[in-house]
Amino acid sequence: MNDFILSSLIFTPLLAALLVLLLPVRLQHTIKAVALAGTVVQMGLAILLYFGFDGTVLANGQQGYQFVEKLNWIGFTLGSLGRFQIDYFLGVDGISISMVLLTGIVGVIGVISSWTITKNVKGYFLLYLLLLTSVMGCFLALDFFLFYLFFEFMLLPMYFLIGIWGGPKREYAAIKFFIYTLVGSLFILLVMIGLYTSVIDPQATAVQMGFAEQGAEAGKAVVTQVQQMLQRNAISSYNLVRTFSIPAMMEPANFIPNSLLHVLSGSVLWDLPLRFIAFLLLFAGFAIKVPSVPVHTWLPDAHVEAPTPISVLLAAILLKVGGYGLIRIVYPIFPDAGAYFAVLVGGLGVLSIIYGALNALAMSDLKKLIAYSSVSHMGFVLLGLASLTVEGVNGAVYMMFSHGIISAMLFLVVGVIYDRAHDRMIQNFRGLAHMMPVYTVFVVIAFFASLGLPGFSGFIAELLVLVGGFGAPEATGLLPRWLTVVAVFGLLLAAAYYLWALQRMFFGKYWIFPELREKATLTDLTTREYLMLVPLALLALLFGIFPHLLLDKIGLTVTGFTELVLQRGQEQLGLILSTLR
Amino acid sequence: MNEQAAYLTDKLNAIITGADTLLPEFLLAIFFLLLITLDLFRSESIKRLLPWLALTGLFSVLALQVLGSYTSVANESFLNLLVSDGLARYGGILFSAAGIFTILMALQHEQLERLKEGKGEFYALLLLLVLGLNLMAKSVNLLMVFLSIETVSIASYILTLTLKQEKRAVEAGLKYILYGALSAGVMLYGMSFFYGFSGTLAYTTEAFALGLLQADGLLVTIAAILVLAGFFFKISAAPFHFWAPDVYQGAPLPVVALFSTGPKMAGILVILRFVGNFSDATAFADVQLLLGVAAIATMVIGNFTALWQKTPRRLLAYSSVSHAGILLMVLLALGTSYTSSLLFYLTVLLFMNFGIFLVLQVSEQRFGVKSLEDFSGIGRMQPFLGVMAILNVLSLTGLPPLAGFMAKLLVFSNVWEAYTLSGNTMLLTLLILGVLLTGVALFYYIKIPYYLFFKRNQSQENLVISPSNKLLLALFALPLLVLFFKPDLLLHWIEQLLTQTL
Repeated sequence: MNDFILSSLIFTPLLAALLVLLLPVRLQHTIKAVALAGTVVQMGLAILLYFGFDGTVLANGQQGYQFVEKLNWIGFTLGSLGRFQIDYFLGVDGISISMVLLTGIVGVIGVISSWTITKNVKGYFLLYLLLLTSVMGCFLALDFFLFYLFFEFMLLPMYFLIGIWGGPKREYAAIKFFIYTLVGSLFILLVMIGLYTSVIDPQATAVQMGFAEQGAEAGKAVVTQVQQMLQRNAISSYNLVRTFSIPAMMEPANFIPNSLLHVLSGSVLWDLPLRFIAFLLLFAGFAIKVPSVPVHTWLPDAHVEAPTPISVLLAAILLKVGGYGLIRIVYPIFPDAGAYFAVLVGGLGVLSIIYGALNALAMSDLKKLIAYSSVSHMGFVLLGLASLTVEGVNGAVYMMFSHGIISAMLFLVVGVIYDRAHDRMIQNFRGLAHMMPVYTVFVVIAFFASLGLPGFSGFIAELLVLVGGFGAPEATGLLPRWLTVVAVFGLLLAAAYYLWALQRMFFGKYWIFPELREKATLTDLTTREYLMLVPLALLALLFGIFPHLLLDKIGLTVTGFTELVLQRGQEQLGLILSTLR
Repeated sequence: MNEQAAYLTDKLNAIITGADTLLPEFLLAIFFLLLITLDLFRSESIKRLLPWLALTGLFSVLALQVLGSYTSVANESFLNLLVSDGLARYGGILFSAAGIFTILMALQHEQLERLKEGKGEFYALLLLLVLGLNLMAKSVNLLMVFLSIETVSIASYILTLTLKQEKRAVEAGLKYILYGALSAGVMLYGMSFFYGFSGTLAYTTEAFALGLLQADGLLVTIAAILVLAGFFFKISAAPFHFWAPDVYQGAPLPVVALFSTGPKMAGILVILRFVGNFSDATAFADVQLLLGVAAIATMVIGNFTALWQKTPRRLLAYSSVSHAGILLMVLLALGTSYTSSLLFYLTVLLFMNFGIFLVLQVSEQRFGVKSLEDFSGIGRMQPFLGVMAILNVLSLTGLPPLAGFMAKLLVFSNVWEAYTLSGNTMLLTLLILGVLLTGVALFYYIKIPYYLFFKRNQSQENLVISPSNKLLLALFALPLLVLFFKPDLLLHWIEQLLTQTL
């Protein structure tokens, strides 16, 4: 079981999707049951993985992966370019384990929330399951090609889920989403091409040169020998085995000496070292997904038009792929540029925090308000990451997890009011607490969890990021202190927009916009809604009160990661800047 | 007198010994003649046999080229005109496949099936066109190139006019001939320059390359422009692409599908051999720049003009122009072994173009699709057709998990590698443009699934798609998936072919 648990995690939803495909259209309940079963199994596996994951293994992004699966997938020779190797390469470390757990949980919640879908049920669940497959694949892939495959494949189901099952302006929102993310992924593609033509797999090259047996693990000495030979240009180009493996790309010794992305290549474009440009392109690609200001504008549209379950999925797990990509790929492969552009990344993070919060304050559509609060909260991920302190990066990962749980809850509670009144304008409601007391309790929980009340997971995440940010000037010297000071105002603004919305919609005397009165039936929560909201609320509390549940799993990886990135970043930055002069 | 006799004997001997390298061409010619002769009979039962006869011919040629036993005396050119190397052999496989696909599509085409006059001609001309394509890929002599291009062109002109009663077809045919004649003349003029430079027309020989190096740089550039004009016409690269939208609009769809693949593939192989002469970056910087600018212009014009198109045929015409741009881009990755990437790209192009044109043919004939808006709601009624459309469209865009992505990835890697080697900024520009224009491409390609699935249509009549059409659609789509997940299967084979005979 343990050998294939990661593959099972990815392919369980795909299997369910195939089953759904084979079922006739009229068996709607069976289709829903299959989808539910598929996601429940996936969640079970994710929980199993969480408990099976050993948090005491040292890891740093380059080593220390657990449950690794590696199979040769595509290998071909291109004349003088040598061999190309694409592997089916999966593994988890502390950073991905949290995302896997989150995906498992939110996947089930999403199916429960989709129970009321009536339009083309078969197509809907087919796409839903495909989406889950590709998101899970993203979090587990350690081969850049595999990652990119899942990353791009995510677009398609999402495009149709928004475009067919969405609100009135769904087509516009779907296309905007598609174009934005595609352009982002094209940036990533550019860098991916540059990277894999520059990086070799020392293991496979050793095999190719006859230093090691096929299939056997080449020893550390052999690997080092190959790397040294490579750096002396002593390997003929026919023996080089180029690879997409992300861990291999993290090792500067694996770069071919005259390749443009080599640290010492001295290659510049528009007065910037090519490595910096590659970093910026990758960053832009993932920042669109995060999303960070100023490339966030697709998010409010997509959220407003998407049906509730898809909003939940989008906010809770799809956005995390952006942050995850930054941690898994961008920073470890280009630590030098990460150190160089720390202020830019942190600055955009703080800008997102403040700008997102100010926008949220101005929104009259409750769903848009929450969409902008997402932008604001994801800004903390950028800030924490940019600080490159242990606390900051821990905070970033924690924030992704906690925002996943809480934003799922937020979009669900918006869905509740929209289901009943077919409207979610804040000014159209007042005193809802009188009509729907239990619902109001959950809204309060969700809002307070999101604004960072101690006791909820959001508080831990924000606290860690801010501690990291404040510590950054001494610990890493990458971020000025005022940035973090500004970020704190984001918390204040969050309190303002949530409390103001709460006050306007839920408290005071009951009143509802006259035109809505006839259609709206303001009943309190149903069993199905309890089934979604209660577990989420409990999780937010659980991870707020016992943060070690997650921090124990991610802690060592984050520490190793931060040390590696910081140390290499400083070294390589020095080298790059020295080649420029 | 004796000398002449000896010369003649030599020639005859050379023809006899070299003839077996041209076995596929002879076979095509025989089937062509057979079809023309049989077409003279009035009997209905014979007429009905003709497409199948043509299919038999093409299948046997395909089998011959896949097995490749005829190239026993490889690398020796036939009278210094034609060479049967691995490149030509793989090209031949692609052309025969394109011919077979065209006939299979034509058999599903209602108007072509009901055609009273010239049905036999249609299939005969297809064979002739494939024959011309084969010769194009094998030519190592400029005169031979000219002859084979003209063979292809003349067959194309008539094929465009298959449905004579349609006004659009006549307009398309006329435009095609005018542009074709002009570019052929220009090309021939350019070739005469090259003869002047080197005293030979065998353009893959060292003597030819040496002659170019000694000649005046400016003149060589001008001559290259003139010759490339003719080649660009065949692959519909800018600025010689103007015929494409009209012909795509007017010709029957099986023929359009063939035009978007066959001549394009053959043309690019000719350019591949031709450009080999200009690999010296210092002596021929102008020619390389020119090719680069042409590639950029083709990609930009193709992609941006496609944005404004209202009919699927014109949209696909410009999409085909943009693909020509990417093909040109590969040729500039000098110093890297781009041939296998190019051949891989051509193979993928073959399947996705036939796939999308078959989708279009089914939609036109079953659902009367004339403009993009007419696609509305068809995908919801016919999920199979819709999914096939999505697969082809996404492959054309170049998104995973489809072979179009793999093909683009290989091309871009070659260009990146060439940039690493030479530091030529034009290559970087090409690369960045090529990647970013994929975003633009998505913008117009996505219109097809957009109408198919997002829009509703008024009429609710439920029409059926014939099983043979479905089967054919699946046949075109399957390689797109297989070649994404296992591209090495094909790449190994291509590499083998190329090393065997080059």
